[in-house]
Amino acid sequence: MKYETVIGLEVHVELATQSKIFCSCSAHSYGAEPNEHVCPACCGMPGMLPVVNKRVVDYGMKAGLMLGCHINRVTTFDKKSYYYPDLPAAYQTTQWFAPVAVNGLVEIETSKGKKGVRIKQIHMEEDAGKLVHDIREDTTHVDFNRTSVPLIEIVSQPDLSSAEEVVAYLDRLKNLLRYARVAECEMAHGTMRCDVNLSVRPEGSDKLGVRTEMKNMNSIEAIKRAIEYETARHIDALENNTEVLVQETRRWDDIKGKSFAMRTKETAGDYRYFPDPNVMPVVIDDNWFDEIKSSLPEFPEVKRERYMSEYGLGEYDTEQITKSIALCECFEEAAKTCGDAKNAANWIISEVMSILNLRQMTYDMLTVSGKSLGELITLVSGGKVGRANAKKILAAMFDDASINPEEYANANGFVISNDTGLIDKVVKEVVESDPKSVADYKGGKEKALMALFGRCMKELKGNCDPQTLRKILIEYIDKI
Amino acid sequence: MDRVILRRLELLNQLSLTETQKDEVIAFFADRENDAKVLENIDTSNVERMVHVMPVMTVVREDIPSQPFSRDDLQKGAPETDEGYWCVPRVVE
Ligand SMILES: [Zn+2]
Repeated sequence: MKYETVIGLEVHVELATQSKIFCSCSAHSYGAEPNEHVCPACCGMPGMLPVVNKRVVDYGMKAGLMLGCHINRVTTFDKKSYYYPDLPAAYQTTQWFAPVAVNGLVEIETSKGKKGVRIKQIHMEEDAGKLVHDIREDTTHVDFNRTSVPLIEIVSQPDLSSAEEVVAYLDRLKNLLRYARVAECEMAHGTMRCDVNLSVRPEGSDKLGVRTEMKNMNSIEAIKRAIEYETARHIDALENNTEVLVQETRRWDDIKGKSFAMRTKETAGDYRYFPDPNVMPVVIDDNWFDEIKSSLPEFPEVKRERYMSEYGLGEYDTEQITKSIALCECFEEAAKTCGDAKNAANWIISEVMSILNLRQMTYDMLTVSGKSLGELITLVSGGKVGRANAKKILAAMFDDASINPEEYANANGFVISNDTGLIDKVVKEVVESDPKSVADYKGGKEKALMALFGRCMKELKGNCDPQTLRKILIEYIDKI
Repeated sequence: MDRVILRRLELLNQLSLTETQKDEVIAFFADRENDAKVLENIDTSNVERMVHVMPVMTVVREDIPSQPFSRDDLQKGAPETDEGYWCVPRVVE
């Protein structure tokens, strides 16, 4: 018998806000002391009242619109009860009855073609704290820095059927949410987390099999492995009666390559959801809605189309630049400034992206402005600065985004000299000091000329037009 | 509601009901269950959900971080702390 896998995902994404969802504590706990960013509200002290962070609702709406959802113009918060030390109030404030966004659709592309994945809902909620078990043997240590950091949970319908589709879906979510600049979505940083709901049924059956939920996958690779393992486990249970499948939550252990039962799956009733009486309904009026709608970026595929038709870029270049909204913005501004889109694209792909990679920065961390990059490109194409020196200027712009390329070139002696007297002088010195290379060149070795050329360029500190230098050098040698 | 459940409630609440009272209570709850069934049969598919009994809405705050409380103040009432952490009974083996 053939089987098919049915997968739905619950994806938690940390929103890139400055402060927490219901209090003004900083939302950035990376590198902070334990419990440095806490207050009575996020510590769950009795009597504290939550105040909603507007930007969380902004980002919730943006995410919803990017994923093709309907926005609930009256959206409410509810309490979800569970009792664990990482949740000081013993309930999580989340959305159950009227989440900010519902009924979306995300298109993915795999080796099997295009496919729509339906989004059930996106809800806004607070994150839980962190528990540390390895400081002392007798207690658990609790850090509430992450408590109440804003999250959205994106719940898909069970429309996915393979690890490949899951990966394509997660990539698409990341791409869209990063374009809207609502989240970093980096699994390695914990700013994107994914739970996999999976069941298996005979191919063509319309009844769903027993569903298990898997947690604790920390990378895309781990998600792939977990799906493959769990699918095999389900099929084995169905075919060979190796075990009885039960609806439960399982923890993925990536080192052992296995999933382990954690607890039988809670149902909604176990959480005793009820409207949070401390947060009044959030009412999104037309002004607010329109403001968010008009702030949305162009969709990646619309951009791709436009880059090819409007700027005449090739498919590869387009693909590279549209990986990140920061690269897109830099490119568009640079192309406008220097008036040469293809050149701007080359600079982004060959220079900007390689510095980002070298410095282990994500593309979205780019701070160099497109305007400055455009000015730098103009200096090079106008013959004012050599390419090698332009790269040095670009590196300096990465360190200090306020650098003006032309001023920096002037201040650091990176301007190409039109002083042929100087070039003549350098050529004469270099040629006279290396009669062997001159003889080799005259004997037909092209490489010897390159060596002489390189030494002249070095003496001139790169501030020379290569064509001019080459011409003067050959003429000089020919005269000997 | 049946006699078994009622007996349990009687014990929990330290009551003792007469046979007549028991019949009355059981009949009363049967009526209420029927009332609920009437509500269940009403078609509400086109009725917008009531989000709040009062016409109220929340105020929102700008996304500006601040830190008006110190950790030390917050941990004053804690039974045990260690290097800035709250300590709780161990939750994993
Ligand atoms: Zn707080």
